[in-house]
Amino acid sequence: MRKILAIIIKDAIMRFSGFSELLFFIILPIIFTFLLAGGTPSGDEDARIRLLVVDEAQTALSAQIVSELAASSAVRPEVVSRADAEEQFSQRRASSIFIIPAGLDTASLQEGTAAVDFRQQPNNLNASIAQRAIQTALRRVSSAVSAANTAVSQREEAMPFASDAEKAAYFDQSLELARELQEDTPQRVTVIRAATPDQVEYDPRANSSAGQLITWVFIPLFGISELFAYERATGTLRRLLTTPTRKATYLLGTISGQVLMAIVQMLLLVGFGILVMKLAWGRDPLALAVMLVCSALAAAAIGSAMGAFVKTSGQANGLSIMLGMVMALMGGCWYPIELFPPAIQTFVKVLPTTWAMQGMLDLVLRGGGLVDILPEAGVLLGFAAVFFAVGVWRFRYE
Amino acid sequence: MPSILEVNNLVKKYGDFTAVKGISFDIREGEIFSLLGPNGAGKTTTISMLSTLYDPTDGDAVIAGHSIKKYPMAVRQVIGVVPQDLALYEELTARENLEFWGQMYGLGGKPLASRIDEVLEQIGLTDKAKNRVKTYSGGMKRRVNIGVGLLHKPRLLFMDEPTVGIDPQSRRAILDTVKALNAQGMTVLYTTHYMEEAAELSNRVGIIDHGELIALGTQDELTRQVGQTDTLLLHIGEEEDPEALSTALRGLPGVQNADVSDHTVSIITPSAEDILAAVVAKANERGIKIRSLDIREPNLEAVFLHLTGRALRD
Amino acid sequence: MQKLFLIGIKDLKLAFRDRAALMFMLLAPFLLTLGLGFVTGRFSGGSTSGLSDIPVVIVNLDKAQLGDALLDVFYSDDLSALLEPAEADSPEAARRLIDEDQAAAAVIIPAGFSESIIPSREMLDAGAFSAEPVQIEIYTNPARPTSAGVVKAVVDEFISRVEEGRIGSMTSILGIPGIETMSSLEVEGLAQEMFAEADGQDFSSAAITLRTDSQGADAVEFDPLAYMAPGMALMFLMFTVSYGGRSLLVEKIQGTLPRLLVSPTRPWQVLGGKVLGIFLTGYAQVGILIIASALFFQVRWGDPLGIAMLIAAAVFGACGWGLLLTALGRSTGQVGALGSAMMLIFGILGGTFISLEDMPAFVRAISAITPNAWGLDGFTTLALGGSLADLGKPILSLLVMGASLFVISAFIFGRSNVMKR
Repeated sequence: MRKILAIIIKDAIMRFSGFSELLFFIILPIIFTFLLAGGTPSGDEDARIRLLVVDEAQTALSAQIVSELAASSAVRPEVVSRADAEEQFSQRRASSIFIIPAGLDTASLQEGTAAVDFRQQPNNLNASIAQRAIQTALRRVSSAVSAANTAVSQREEAMPFASDAEKAAYFDQSLELARELQEDTPQRVTVIRAATPDQVEYDPRANSSAGQLITWVFIPLFGISELFAYERATGTLRRLLTTPTRKATYLLGTISGQVLMAIVQMLLLVGFGILVMKLAWGRDPLALAVMLVCSALAAAAIGSAMGAFVKTSGQANGLSIMLGMVMALMGGCWYPIELFPPAIQTFVKVLPTTWAMQGMLDLVLRGGGLVDILPEAGVLLGFAAVFFAVGVWRFRYE
Repeated sequence: MPSILEVNNLVKKYGDFTAVKGISFDIREGEIFSLLGPNGAGKTTTISMLSTLYDPTDGDAVIAGHSIKKYPMAVRQVIGVVPQDLALYEELTARENLEFWGQMYGLGGKPLASRIDEVLEQIGLTDKAKNRVKTYSGGMKRRVNIGVGLLHKPRLLFMDEPTVGIDPQSRRAILDTVKALNAQGMTVLYTTHYMEEAAELSNRVGIIDHGELIALGTQDELTRQVGQTDTLLLHIGEEEDPEALSTALRGLPGVQNADVSDHTVSIITPSAEDILAAVVAKANERGIKIRSLDIREPNLEAVFLHLTGRALRD
Repeated sequence: MQKLFLIGIKDLKLAFRDRAALMFMLLAPFLLTLGLGFVTGRFSGGSTSGLSDIPVVIVNLDKAQLGDALLDVFYSDDLSALLEPAEADSPEAARRLIDEDQAAAAVIIPAGFSESIIPSREMLDAGAFSAEPVQIEIYTNPARPTSAGVVKAVVDEFISRVEEGRIGSMTSILGIPGIETMSSLEVEGLAQEMFAEADGQDFSSAAITLRTDSQGADAVEFDPLAYMAPGMALMFLMFTVSYGGRSLLVEKIQGTLPRLLVSPTRPWQVLGGKVLGIFLTGYAQVGILIIASALFFQVRWGDPLGIAMLIAAAVFGACGWGLLLTALGRSTGQVGALGSAMMLIFGILGGTFISLEDMPAFVRAISAITPNAWGLDGFTTLALGGSLADLGKPILSLLVMGASLFVISAFIFGRSNVMKR
């Protein structure tokens, strides 16, 4: 036990001997979590998609469109000048712009000549969401007019109007009625989020918090391979095995040390998530602990297995960063896995990152508890068992 | 004196290549025993087997009563190892290194702390103990490397070429340390390819070449094997052809053997004075200029040359 | 000048012989691009937005006009690529599928939904009828917010159409003279008729036309890999420049730099040669990756001259950063660590991983100092069919960036002792 402790302390001193390790341990992960969460430290900010709106009509109708957009759950309209909008758009700082040209008013709407412009960047998911939101707003704005129009034509069919004035009056009356009806429209859809016992607000930033946590913890744990390569290169591993210390003690000390440091790192990042980003990490501490430990063990096992095969520490370093990034990307740590094609969604189940991410999301997003994450934890432990076995079996000390 | 180490027909094969071909020797408690041989002779492989790093392909060795094959853990308690290459954590300070390695030998607490003070004193680094090893000079690192091997007061210390590639001053310090340790009762197995070191330190020397122990004994015993011979060293210019000279000289009466290393031709002869004139004449005849020459009395170098037909530092 | 080239070529060779460095320079960006290609569905054909075959479960307890209509919407050809609908018998069964992460959302249409909307006698009497509305429940999977959002949008659109029909027919009916005296059977018959008519109607009469225009989309279809491949190449270019900068310090430690400086070579030739080495290595790296993207991923790059110039400008700008890092760094380890950090931060700030448009202004401002952002801007322009002539701004910005960083670094080098004998 004393030996294991000595190995852990030695590794900790070595790892934190320079400032740069702190950079990768905590500073960069926090910067990345922050940026991937949309550059907003807490959830108070508006998470809706920014939509640049140019209102050149400046009529009651255009104002109505803007206010409908503002009420939308998908977009956040930002009224700007045309020049400003076009500049931002051409520099690709805006996914889309919505232009209400001069001359848009109720009259043009009635005539059917009303038109607005929408420009979007290619292949932009945000832009297509914005387009949908605009369409809904336009429909709401025009539906009253359209209803009044319908009423007029229906009435005309049943009983022709005596004069144009009567027709106009009838239109105005219908329009008012339609607007009243529209205002009183009840909510016909209710959205319930699954399995959130205490009504956790869905927060997309939970994705980035969990994803970055996994990314930045897996990479250094894969780096166990570098530690092995380094100790082989310096001959310290050889020397160690001439002391009355068993191989198993060395492996246990080295791996548990890195796992411990990874857990400290994860707790710091979880702390950042709870305190600064106000995420619901802390609801089930036991389940969280199980997830963190299982994830760390799986990653450490892969690092150990890699350590048996890499030749130099430079190679190990490169390989662990590269594998870490690719696995994080494919495991859904950077982009939600739901955006992947179905075949890929199935394929990435071979990666530990996928399971780690799913387990973390169960906890922080789906409000799950210990029971919900047991399958993920089990799979991660399976990864750990297989790769530790390979690592120990193929372990070389020179 | 009882033996602390008995090596019995130790063999190490790597595939078809046999690195150590069944060597046997013993080391007595309290002596300094040197394994002398050129690079690649099998010294490090032998020490690695004795320090339980490699399993021998065949044969066994018994250290302080424990077989290296059956009881490696017991063996490791008895031995201290100073590896050829530095095996230290350069990011740690000297004291931190000593603490770590001490704990690996099962030491701890106050006894370890005071032992570390003693060792630091012994290797002369008390003042610099709090500096990171990577800031040390090559000689200082070597001293820490040795210090680590001393922490648990091993009965038998393995030192694998501890003086390779360092300045003469540090080398001197290391040799003195070895002698001091031995004076305190520590048995030392010392490998080197420097004839002078083996000559200065050892009670007994084993000469190893191509994985075989080709000679074993005290220095006197070994040099006596060579007989009453001298070594004549001819240093010639860089532009000259030493091979041609040595071939020519082999034919001279009184020359037992002639061999080349760099720009030096070594000649084994019963009497250097007697053949000197003939050698110089031969060189002149070939048009080869001799820049300087040395005559050496019988030594380990000569023994090696005598036994293998080659100079030690090939 | 010849010496400068010799030093540069030597560094290029050394970089390409270092396997660990090659892993970062070529393999990592290639694999990440490949991964991105997979996760965005670039290789599986399909839709380019990334979302397809969203599993959605529908429970139709209404079994009447509107419930059936909504079901039809989910099964319509228009949405067949986007959605993968399935039906469940009970709300409980549907919710369970969501809880088990089998589907993105469940849409539960309750019994009496149609009845609550299609105008009836009571509604007309009450004028603004305010009974408890019958609500469709969308039970969403929080782990698939985007997919659930799509499902919600589909339902919302349907509801707004229904609503339009309802308001239209209500308005019409309420305006018809003598409605108050009609029998409820008559009114309901009329209402049904009008509702059906309004529901089926297109908004030709008074709709606002939305004219859409996807930039450049008419000319070229934009390939997401045309953004990701150079994004990754530019990110790992930052590794290459810091690696190159580090090699200067390595040479100092190894003693080859002092040796060069005591040879009849001027310090500016040495420094220039090192910088040239970094530039050549970076150029080769990005060039290889761009060519690989064209060969393996069929990304069409268009104007070859534009590509060549853009890569040169981007590598030049990145070299400036590498040199600055070297000038500031104290040890090789430090330069290496800072280099990796810079690579990642520039990568994310340059827009390699995320769209920056919703970022706070200061983040977007910092983005402008990264070669990544400008380089990506240029590559996107090219992929959309632009040519060298359209690249003026990014190329100029990169050149200015590189030149100013060179000046700053030269100043710092002048004060430090790296280049002294």
